[in-house]
Amino acid sequence: MKGPGQDPAAPGPDSALSGSDAPPETGAPQESVPSPGSGSPAETGSAPGSAEARPPGGSRATGPKTRLRGTTKPPTVASRLLQNRWAGLAGLLVAILAPFVNATPYALSVMTSAAIFVMLAAGLNIVVGYCGLLDLGYAAFFAVGAYTSGVLATRFDLPLLATVPAVLVATVIAGIVIGAPTLRLRSDYLAVVTLGFGEIIRITANNLEVTGGPSGVYGIPHLVDGPVAFYYLTVAVVAVAVAGAARLGRSRLGRAWRFVREDEDAAEAMGVHTYRVKLAAYIAGAIWGGLAGVLFGAHLSAISPASFTFLQSALVLMAVVLGGMGSMPGVVIGAIVISILPEILRDLADHRFFLFGVLLIVVMLLRPQGLWPARSKEALK
Amino acid sequence: MRATPLKSLASLTLAVLVLAGCSQGLLGDGGTGDQSSAPAQGPIVLGMLIPQSGSEAAIGPYMSNAAQLAIDEINAKGGVLGRKLELKTADDACDPQSASAAANKLVTEGVHISVGGYCSGATLPTLPIFGRANIPMIIPAANSQELVDQKLKHVFLINGTGSQQAAAAQKWVDKQGAKSVALMHDNTSYSKDIAVRSQDLLGDKAVIVEAVTPKESDYSANITNVLAKKPDFVYWTGYFQEGGLIARQLRQAGYKGSIMVADGAVSPKLAEIAGDEAAEGVYATMTQTPETLQGAENWIAAYKQKYNADPGPYSNQSYDAVRLAAEAITKAGGTDGAKVIAALEAVDGFPMFSGPLKFTPEHTLANGGFQILVVKDGAFTLQDPLA
Repeated sequence: MKGPGQDPAAPGPDSALSGSDAPPETGAPQESVPSPGSGSPAETGSAPGSAEARPPGGSRATGPKTRLRGTTKPPTVASRLLQNRWAGLAGLLVAILAPFVNATPYALSVMTSAAIFVMLAAGLNIVVGYCGLLDLGYAAFFAVGAYTSGVLATRFDLPLLATVPAVLVATVIAGIVIGAPTLRLRSDYLAVVTLGFGEIIRITANNLEVTGGPSGVYGIPHLVDGPVAFYYLTVAVVAVAVAGAARLGRSRLGRAWRFVREDEDAAEAMGVHTYRVKLAAYIAGAIWGGLAGVLFGAHLSAISPASFTFLQSALVLMAVVLGGMGSMPGVVIGAIVISILPEILRDLADHRFFLFGVLLIVVMLLRPQGLWPARSKEALK
Repeated sequence: MRATPLKSLASLTLAVLVLAGCSQGLLGDGGTGDQSSAPAQGPIVLGMLIPQSGSEAAIGPYMSNAAQLAIDEINAKGGVLGRKLELKTADDACDPQSASAAANKLVTEGVHISVGGYCSGATLPTLPIFGRANIPMIIPAANSQELVDQKLKHVFLINGTGSQQAAAAQKWVDKQGAKSVALMHDNTSYSKDIAVRSQDLLGDKAVIVEAVTPKESDYSANITNVLAKKPDFVYWTGYFQEGGLIARQLRQAGYKGSIMVADGAVSPKLAEIAGDEAAEGVYATMTQTPETLQGAENWIAAYKQKYNADPGPYSNQSYDAVRLAAEAITKAGGTDGAKVIAALEAVDGFPMFSGPLKFTPEHTLANGGFQILVVKDGAFTLQDPLA
């Protein structure tokens, strides 16, 4: 998968410049990495896309244009802000304080949906952003999670929380079943197969008795009472999920993912078990998606195959690409934009999706690397 | 550098808390959707969830136009309890997630009663949202059994249900003396519901239940399956695009028996797609429509004059939903949810297009009002009212 961040058609001088006399990063010394709760911020620095992280042939790809500034002169205010490890905490704070500004049922519903969407995008970012596996059927895992918890909770009168272990098992199995045969494929082939699996899961749900067929599962119990409490629970879960995904991206496994993304053959030659590493990314993505599915079922109280169409997979992928592949803060912002923008444009009725499309194109024209592109810590050293 | 972000965080927190004090936030008192305590003044707001985008977008205007027509008529007569009626529509896109956000939006905007709901799948998640806000729902179109099975006190369906339609189909099959019936559906909630219920009612007479994939152009494989069972009656419970093709391809395959379609396939388009020859004599189970109603000419004329278009599917139900809402609020003497629900339960003989209204204990129509139509010269006309 070639994303904007590593577009071979855009060679630039910066790859030659990177690693030159860039000033030391002031904001976030690597040694004193903040607690997981701080999540996305510290991760910015380590996001992939650096010339150093690439194999020797790295000159074929360039990092984001803005990096030029970061490497040749002291960071601007904007780039300091982007590198700031407090950014994630600030985002969390905004999420926590938002209900104090507007706590109408509508606002809470939209914000909860947005938070769930952020979790989905964070999960897909592991697969697409970190590991470079183009997954066009991500909604399948979302569906597996939502249906597993929904069916268990309604058929056996279990509290939703009790279904979480089953959801984990089901999504891991789904990840292995889907990933094991397909991850031997590359690029376009993988995309086509995942597209197929996304549809298979949806059509299976549409035809099985136990999933309620086309009308789906309804009467799913709440996790907690009241929309405000549920919003905060969602924010907490999503914050942990985003922070977890970001930390995972900086782990040994995360480096292996980046290596596989940049050059699978070289990674293999260097001793990375690429198949296993890719499967790990796939399973991690599946777990994130499945847990988001549990929240989704609890939020809507009813799920049906209509929620897990290809469009849903495409929207999540759009959030990842729009935000900046491999950049967790970017993906969070991308997901929020994708989920909130149609609601803001709601008053335009028939025209809203037209305008939504136009705005997305404008964003991609103005910021081809994504809203908050991935940048490597290595490049700033 | 270290202190700056902390400072900015602190000031951000402060700013938000200041905002919170004076608005709809948790510390403010607004926006909880609790209308019952609000003073009885200002317009009575009717909320309507309809598909305005997505695959079913064509239906939206039929419903909202008819609802607006009813509201204008009522307002011209002085409104309800001296208050004007006002319609607020929101797009559910026939998608559960959009519908849930849209329902919350209507609740936030302070609607007093809901008169929308077309797609059953999208309507399901909105039930608890309106329920929490103590807002009664009169659902004009969505009619899947799941809406009924939850036995929610605030939910009323004024469209015939799948079981009522299946009962009408079974009645007509018996009347025709058909021996073996093939049921075909398209695997959507609505369509499968009718097919399965018809199968239960018909028992041994139902020789095959065939699911087809919607939006294809060639159904010959399905039709070969069906004809292998040698049925003398085929009942299609899906929509008109596929219905027209299936009727045509059945005739092309040499099928001579009766063909019947359910209400989703009742459209002039059916005869266009099937061709006049194949469509001729196709039966349909259908609730009353403006075309089959005596005395609806004036209503159709009024609709045409206002919107310069013909009323369409569920226009009459939407119109009735608004009138029924106005009636219930008048009887209840206000917009208090519980009182309006009680008034709706007590309604007896309220005149609607589908006949005098009375709700069953499940809050569905006591009489589904399904009748049998037949295609004559390319148009659906009344065959048997099944009264």
